[in-house]
Amino acid sequence: MRIEPNNKHKSPYLNKVFIVSLLLVAVIAASSWTYYGVVPTGPYQLVYPANFGNRINVPDDSPTTQQGVYLGRALFYETRLSANNTLSCGSCHKQELAFTDGLAFSKGVDEVATPRNSMSLANLLWTRRFFWDGRAGSLEEQAGIPLTNPHEMGQELTVSAKKLSATNLYPPLFKQVYGDESITGERIVKAIAQFERTLISANSRYDQYLRNAYTPTADELKGMALFNQSPNPEKGIRGANCSHCHGGTKNYMELFHNNGLDSIPKDEGIAALTGLASDRGRFKVPTLRNIALTGPYMHDGRFKTLKEVVDHYSDHIIASASLSTFLRGESNEVNGKALKLTTQEKKQLIAFLNMLTDSSFITDRRFADPHLLAASNKTKTKSK
Amino acid sequence: MKKYYLVMVFVLSGLIVKPAAIYAQVAAKQASVKITGEVITPLTINEVNFKAYTQTTVIRKDRDGKDHTYGGVVLADILTKAGVTLGKTLMGENLTKYVLVEASDGYQVVFALPELDKDFADRTIILADKVDGQPLAPGDGPFRIIVQNEKKPARCIKQVTGIKVMFAK
Repeated sequence: MRIEPNNKHKSPYLNKVFIVSLLLVAVIAASSWTYYGVVPTGPYQLVYPANFGNRINVPDDSPTTQQGVYLGRALFYETRLSANNTLSCGSCHKQELAFTDGLAFSKGVDEVATPRNSMSLANLLWTRRFFWDGRAGSLEEQAGIPLTNPHEMGQELTVSAKKLSATNLYPPLFKQVYGDESITGERIVKAIAQFERTLISANSRYDQYLRNAYTPTADELKGMALFNQSPNPEKGIRGANCSHCHGGTKNYMELFHNNGLDSIPKDEGIAALTGLASDRGRFKVPTLRNIALTGPYMHDGRFKTLKEVVDHYSDHIIASASLSTFLRGESNEVNGKALKLTTQEKKQLIAFLNMLTDSSFITDRRFADPHLLAASNKTKTKSK
Repeated sequence: MKKYYLVMVFVLSGLIVKPAAIYAQVAAKQASVKITGEVITPLTINEVNFKAYTQTTVIRKDRDGKDHTYGGVVLADILTKAGVTLGKTLMGENLTKYVLVEASDGYQVVFALPELDKDFADRTIILADKVDGQPLAPGDGPFRIIVQNEKKPARCIKQVTGIKVMFAK
């Protein structure tokens, strides 16, 4: 009885606190459970033009689902996956730079620079061998390497799994994808790979030209012809001979060549894996998709501009025993030793290379950092 | 003191010689061709065991437009050794098989299995290791497919590392 008056006095205040804290919990729960609403579920439709072909790679044990891509995207941009919580995959693969970082070498959690240039991510659905030396046979295998490399994100997958398990955000997302809340290294890389498969770039001016939706300029057309032709000075055909290795609708052919950068390469490339002399200085021929955005160029980022790259192929190929046969004895001059393109031709070639930039790909909100999006949504809600 | 000096020299020489020895070992590694897929016995062809097969020659033009004599082994002979369904067994569903040839640069080409069988086609397809009596150039060899009489040289795949027999699904 004695406490009654007190109760009467306190109850409206307590109720208010209770309601406010309940709302707060609900808001926090809602914002941490999802980055922009309800998690979509069901099969993910990978949409691409018919001329890209269907030689795609989706593992049987990890079909692409909307919830898987949703989780993978959150993980791709998740800094908790690095040893000091500062780096995510997105740190070295920035969307606005066609998923590169604009640096010759990237710094890992230990401030040590990576030995090779961060690779552009686009149309990985068609890729079978990953890294500059092709050492990973799947996106899943690839993803695990920078995550754990001490000079990159530097954190064992078991530690990553533990850290994610301790969050409110991830256990329910993993449950949506895998049926239970258990978080493992394998599940992390599978989800990241699912997201990466959706990074399809198919709307450059070159794609538009191929579907008769864009009329190239005179320089772009000349550049395209040079790109596709082998030089034959006897017949008066001028060419830059690019399409042997960079041809096709995707501008990627999954080849590995020594492109004449050095006579004795500092980085042995594939030879470091195989021990074969013929693999010395041999690296992946990377995609030319969005190439104007992905400098600096080559495995060591030695060329800052496309002009430097074109100058290299035109005038500065260095011979060695393992030099690609495609780069030997090709010249626009009779008995010439180098390709020898004119200044005008180089400009035309670069005009064509700029046609491969897909601006809708680098601004597609489906590929953007969802955590930033969630944060900005939260700010918007607050300001209302 | 002299003893220590000798030990020092020994240790140092070990340090210097060892990496060089490893490097020599790595550099001396030879390329090989793996025969896999729909085979009874997977094989690894190298420059030594290649000599055990019956050798033959095929003349064809290369990109230089000139005729060259390529020496090597009929591809069907190697595949038969691996137990691939050629000859009398090349019938029924085995006619849906194809051969995927891969090079060290990632380049791949395909042959339908009957293309390799002499009961189906006259032209000879060989795995070559010689051109005009000499070992193939490093950029072409040590093993290269040579397709007799094929107009384009695109399937004369160089630096072959793998031959996989597969069923079309």
